[in-house]
Amino acid sequence: MRTRLAVAAAAITALVAGCTTSGGGDEPAQEAEGPASLTFWNTGSDEHAAALQVVADIYKQSHPDVTIKVQALSWDDGHAKVLTAATSRTGPDIISGGMSWGIEFGELGGMIDLNAQDIGSIKSQTRPEVLKAITSPSGAVYGVSFDNAFYLLFYRPDLLQKAGLSGPPKTWEELTAAITKLKAAGVKTPLVENWNTFEWLPWFNWLKQAGGSLYADDCSKATIDSDPAVLATATWAKQFREHGVPKAATDSAAGLANGEVAMAIDGSWVANAIDTTHPQLKGKWQVAALPTGPAGPGTFVGGRIVGVMAYTKYPKAATEFIKWLYTDEAIQLLQKEVYNKSGELWLSPRADQIDTLTTTDNVKQTLKTTMETVSGPPNCKGWEVSQAEVTKKLQSVVNDNVDPKQALGEAATIMNNNLK
Amino acid sequence: MASTTTSPPAGVQVSHPVRRAKRAPALRRMRLRRALPGYLMLLPFAALFAGFLVWPLLNSLYFAFTNYNGVKPPTLVGFDNFQRLWFEDERFRTALVNSFAYVAATVTLTTVLALALAVAFHGTSWRDRIMRTLFFLPAVTSTIAVALIWRWIFTVEDFGLANTVIGWVGVEPVQWLATPSLTIPILVVMAVWGGCGYGMVIFVAGLNAIPEEHYESARLDGANAWQQFWYITLPQLKPVTTYVVITSLISAFQVFEAVYIVFRGVSSVGGVQDSGLMLVPYLYDMGFTKFQLGYASAIAWSLFIVIFVVSMIQLRVTRALREL
Repeated sequence: MRTRLAVAAAAITALVAGCTTSGGGDEPAQEAEGPASLTFWNTGSDEHAAALQVVADIYKQSHPDVTIKVQALSWDDGHAKVLTAATSRTGPDIISGGMSWGIEFGELGGMIDLNAQDIGSIKSQTRPEVLKAITSPSGAVYGVSFDNAFYLLFYRPDLLQKAGLSGPPKTWEELTAAITKLKAAGVKTPLVENWNTFEWLPWFNWLKQAGGSLYADDCSKATIDSDPAVLATATWAKQFREHGVPKAATDSAAGLANGEVAMAIDGSWVANAIDTTHPQLKGKWQVAALPTGPAGPGTFVGGRIVGVMAYTKYPKAATEFIKWLYTDEAIQLLQKEVYNKSGELWLSPRADQIDTLTTTDNVKQTLKTTMETVSGPPNCKGWEVSQAEVTKKLQSVVNDNVDPKQALGEAATIMNNNLK
Repeated sequence: MASTTTSPPAGVQVSHPVRRAKRAPALRRMRLRRALPGYLMLLPFAALFAGFLVWPLLNSLYFAFTNYNGVKPPTLVGFDNFQRLWFEDERFRTALVNSFAYVAATVTLTTVLALALAVAFHGTSWRDRIMRTLFFLPAVTSTIAVALIWRWIFTVEDFGLANTVIGWVGVEPVQWLATPSLTIPILVVMAVWGGCGYGMVIFVAGLNAIPEEHYESARLDGANAWQQFWYITLPQLKPVTTYVVITSLISAFQVFEAVYIVFRGVSSVGGVQDSGLMLVPYLYDMGFTKFQLGYASAIAWSLFIVIFVVSMIQLRVTRALREL
């Protein structure tokens, strides 16, 4: 009996001792010989993956040695799947995903620093605000901007006119006045706010418009408890507490179509989707830049990064394809294919390509104007861990009537602790 | 030199152990031959069991004592993860409190409702069969699909059934999924609706195993329906009740899909102000969103300890009640 126990204990000890991970390679990726067969996990819809596949097939015509297979990865579990791939060191060669994914997976050792692959041309074509957001504190760029998205104000001019408004609100004060007038005119929900409703992302717009920031420029400390941030938070909270803005996400296009919603702050990709999903609304909606605050205009810029996994056998071939995605040819192809397949707007990081989008002049002009005022998520250490806590503090201002100064002070403490 | 071997005394059955020793290898071979097909048939399951359960479990136990981000090799940190978890982590405390509140409400309501349904529909008539099927349907429906439907029911938009129904009686629309005080009640409603059918089937099996003679005797003694239920049905169902409670308790502690699909936000898996944060969603958040796989493993093993302790307490209480 004792012998059996001893054998069992030894076996378990050996098993546990042998529980080492297959990951952990810090060695630089070496280019394999011969034709490259690349797998691209594209986070987004099947239609986006299909559009990208068309573009990848065209790339093959000029690069016969490179075959790229694009697979769609859903936003719901994409993050976990990329982590699994990085851990097991098997899976895609190229991935696209959330703007922070590059730094997240790169710092773990899961993606390569593209600086080593001469991406100067890409960096020069990327807006400085976006480049800052995707560059790690150490200067590494693990993923370059693949596409951009930012907040815009969609509205129904006819409903605004009926409420006695001559145009979309241009300032915070005008926004408040417009909500009051629209409510009085019988519009059920004058304003909705989508794209991470009731979380830190849309609040960030207010923060920038008030002149605030999350961290100091050098990431030395959190600045979320500054006076502009307090003003932004109080104003942001007021829209939920006093102006009936829903705290849950809504289908803004449907709301605009049935007239229950007059204005919607939503992602730029919605621009063309409105016409696709609600053809009866064609020509009846307009878009404008977000209202400005005391410090001027400002909007959060998000979107996807595209980068190369650390274990790929073809880092050079993968990076060359990513560089090609910044060419006029690739961008215009993607714009066309995404529009044809999903009816959505695909916005390249290159502002000079806005004119080639299949959309109205109003949308193009608004995109250009807004692109000048964007700010990306912070690249400071600990932000990924802090954002859930910051969101909770912001929500407590609305739900529990917590003083904004106190809530932001607590958020700053958490952020500073995570900076260490 | 004297021989160390001794002759057996006369009259004693000779060489029993010796013969047995000689026969032992043959016996072993025979037993092995007899058992071999059984072992071979078990092998595929054993291999899968070892590969997909034992091995990950041991891995997770090891990771619980390490700092591991999933990509770089893990480094041993002793009990640091458990110390941080149990003594410093506010979110874990929130998850623990939410989980206990959810489990208490879900297990109680599921068990009571399942028993009530079983008593009401345990017969063999078509009505009972149809009702049992209807109530059992959620148990065989995809949890993901069910969670999505609940999400639609509680949506703030016009197609939200909950707001439509309360609108019929003039109540203003409620932002169900963005109101922290409603999160646990909504999750409980979802779990009870989805779980009582399964409990009902188990109770029906238990009810049908109670000898009819007990009830006949009770009726002859003048017992009314309530007395029959209280003094015969309930005591006879104690083992079944224990089973239903323990299995409901374990599955309630492990709730994930409902929280993840109905309440998850981009910043947090636990909904507005972490109002729906439970142990498994928190584990997922730390492991797959924050890349703290060592810490997530410590949460997993803490969850195991919590379930084990609560189940043991429940079993002891049941045993004590049975002996009363």
